[in-house]
Amino acid sequence: MNRFVVLLSIMAVTIFSFVTPGTNSYAAEPIIIAVPTSLGFLEGKESHRAVQMAVTEINAKGGVTVGGVKRPFKVAAIDIRDAARGVPVTEALLGLEKIILEKKPAAIVVGPFRSEALMAGMDIIAKYKVPMLGTIAMSPGSEKKLKGDPEKYKYVFRTCLNAVHLVKYLAGTMALINKEFGFNKVYVMHQDVAWARATAGFVKKVYFDKAGWEIVGLEAYPTGTSDFSSGLMKARAKGAQVIMPIFDMPQSGILVKQWKTMRVPAIMTGFISPLAGSGAWKIFDKKIGGAINNIFELGSAIDSAKVPQSKIFYDKYKRTYGKALQAGHGPAPSYESVYILAEAIERAGSLDPDAIVAELEKTDRNGVMGRVRYDEGHQAIFGFDPKETAVSTVFQWTKTGKRVIVFPASIAEGKIELPPGLKSLK
Amino acid sequence: MFLGTVVYAVINSVILMLMAIGFNLTFGISGVANFAHGALYILSAYVSWMLLNMLGLPFFISALFSILITTLVGALMYRFVLIRVRGQVLSEVIATFGIGLAILELFRYLGFVGFEYTLPVFIDTSFFVAGVYVDMQRILIVVLGAVLVFGLWLFTHHTSLGLAFRGIAQDERTALTLGIDTDWIATLSVSLGAGLAALAATIIIPLGSISPGEGYDVLIKALAVCIIGGLGSTGGVIVASFIIGFAERFTDSYISSHWTMIVSLAAILIVLTMKPSGLFGKQKELEERI
Repeated sequence: MNRFVVLLSIMAVTIFSFVTPGTNSYAAEPIIIAVPTSLGFLEGKESHRAVQMAVTEINAKGGVTVGGVKRPFKVAAIDIRDAARGVPVTEALLGLEKIILEKKPAAIVVGPFRSEALMAGMDIIAKYKVPMLGTIAMSPGSEKKLKGDPEKYKYVFRTCLNAVHLVKYLAGTMALINKEFGFNKVYVMHQDVAWARATAGFVKKVYFDKAGWEIVGLEAYPTGTSDFSSGLMKARAKGAQVIMPIFDMPQSGILVKQWKTMRVPAIMTGFISPLAGSGAWKIFDKKIGGAINNIFELGSAIDSAKVPQSKIFYDKYKRTYGKALQAGHGPAPSYESVYILAEAIERAGSLDPDAIVAELEKTDRNGVMGRVRYDEGHQAIFGFDPKETAVSTVFQWTKTGKRVIVFPASIAEGKIELPPGLKSLK
Repeated sequence: MFLGTVVYAVINSVILMLMAIGFNLTFGISGVANFAHGALYILSAYVSWMLLNMLGLPFFISALFSILITTLVGALMYRFVLIRVRGQVLSEVIATFGIGLAILELFRYLGFVGFEYTLPVFIDTSFFVAGVYVDMQRILIVVLGAVLVFGLWLFTHHTSLGLAFRGIAQDERTALTLGIDTDWIATLSVSLGAGLAALAATIIIPLGSISPGEGYDVLIKALAVCIIGGLGSTGGVIVASFIIGFAERFTDSYISSHWTMIVSLAAILIVLTMKPSGLFGKQKELEERI
């Protein structure tokens, strides 16, 4: 008799649980957002967290409305390790294809870390027709490929800065330095990867050659290089006034340390990933005063009171994860991409990839990075005014460990100051 | 410029030597190619970092503990894993590489990635040497390298344990007949190799940062140095470190940094073509003579 009562109770509970209607957001099938990237690297890790933060916010408001039904987002991540030295692109592509096939995502956010993997991965994305909002890989080669066959590759968007827009920022900073101090001798040191090579080449072509600068040296360093003494000695010997580094590898922090200890009398202006975050001051023993660094997207590792959304995002990330953002590239566009995707899905009213792509193309959103719109190559447009375009930032470390935005003028908080030992020519 | 390049080439050479000497010592004594060497290097750095930043211990105490812990890990690795596959070269390589992979990927999985993972320099100052500024940490590296080589020579030539090490290195069976416990000596050799990896990490890591990927780099560099020098030969390690160290820095200064790695690999190929056992190796000595 007792066994019969227990069985009856279980059946009743089971039937009850099936027939009782729940709230839409819990009963509805989640929309999967895939995050296939190098999760073991800072930019990948913090971008993944930024995606999760946006998803939590959207889900807290009930989710995304698709065809009249509120559906929550769900994040599925995979470490494709494409940023790690020695990992072949084919291995990264296996990870990309695996998450598409296993998780059946409605879209991909963040995406491959290295442009080499993105370029090759575009064919997989086209094959499975999954819209992707990339936020780390930067080579404009993907836009060229898209423009070559727009119908096939239309699923690929990029919300982060690309090398072409980075060049505008580097050139703008160099023009400012030339105007303020009269410097015109530069030593370029860049990582030997696609985006950094492209960036260095573009800056030379579109700015240094035209503006009459003398490039006293241009060195490509294999990923993993841990000694920059020879390059710094050459920079000193050749009388460089400016050193322009372009690196995103962890070892590039050694360059800053060596620049400081070897007392090279040149201002360091460019992009070194370890120098971006607020934690760099402590990491580099408070000895990076004077160094100028680029943050690829406003909100990633730096905020501006002139763009309130950037401050809200930056502060919320710190409250959520107990630590301020340190990656100067990736987190802000990753966060924005989730909202851009949510808005596109709601406008499309379905998860049909072609319909989502059509709506993504119409994106016009004011957010953390400023105003986001995509151009014909599906690249977010970056400029110098956050009211008109998305913006990058250039800041300088002060002697007291503060980061002061010096470029672009629309969000600048101060002027460039020369480090000790370097005198203005004006 | 030339003298400056020489100065930094010497430093680079000593760094390579410090990275390789533990691996070489273990192989020379016990015949175990410890492919977890790079992982042990990184393990000790992370342990130092944790003791320093999470427990708030002073750096020198953290460093000392990390060296001791890594040395212990090396001994445990031999007693629990390697002793079972001893003498089976391929199994030893796979076992040690597997352990190393597990250590490095565990740190990556646990989120130990970022630029904050670094260790402080011992003394924060720099000197003007031969036309260039050199920081105190690099000078200390050179001094430690010299002291270590001399210390190891004293240890292996003038202590009973050191002589036992040399005995098993020369002929394990004969050493056994003379009452030397070869398993115990092999345990000590693996743990000493691990301890040397930790010592190298303690002094080299402050120049850069700690990351799992660095473990693979250290293993590759240690292997390159040992192969050129001849596996098991301390003199070979010193000479090979200087060959690669100078080749790297001079290529960087006078050709292009882009070619640094290629020139180093070319140096390995040339040496191995002319002397397959390495400069001071004895594995194929007889074949080479014939």
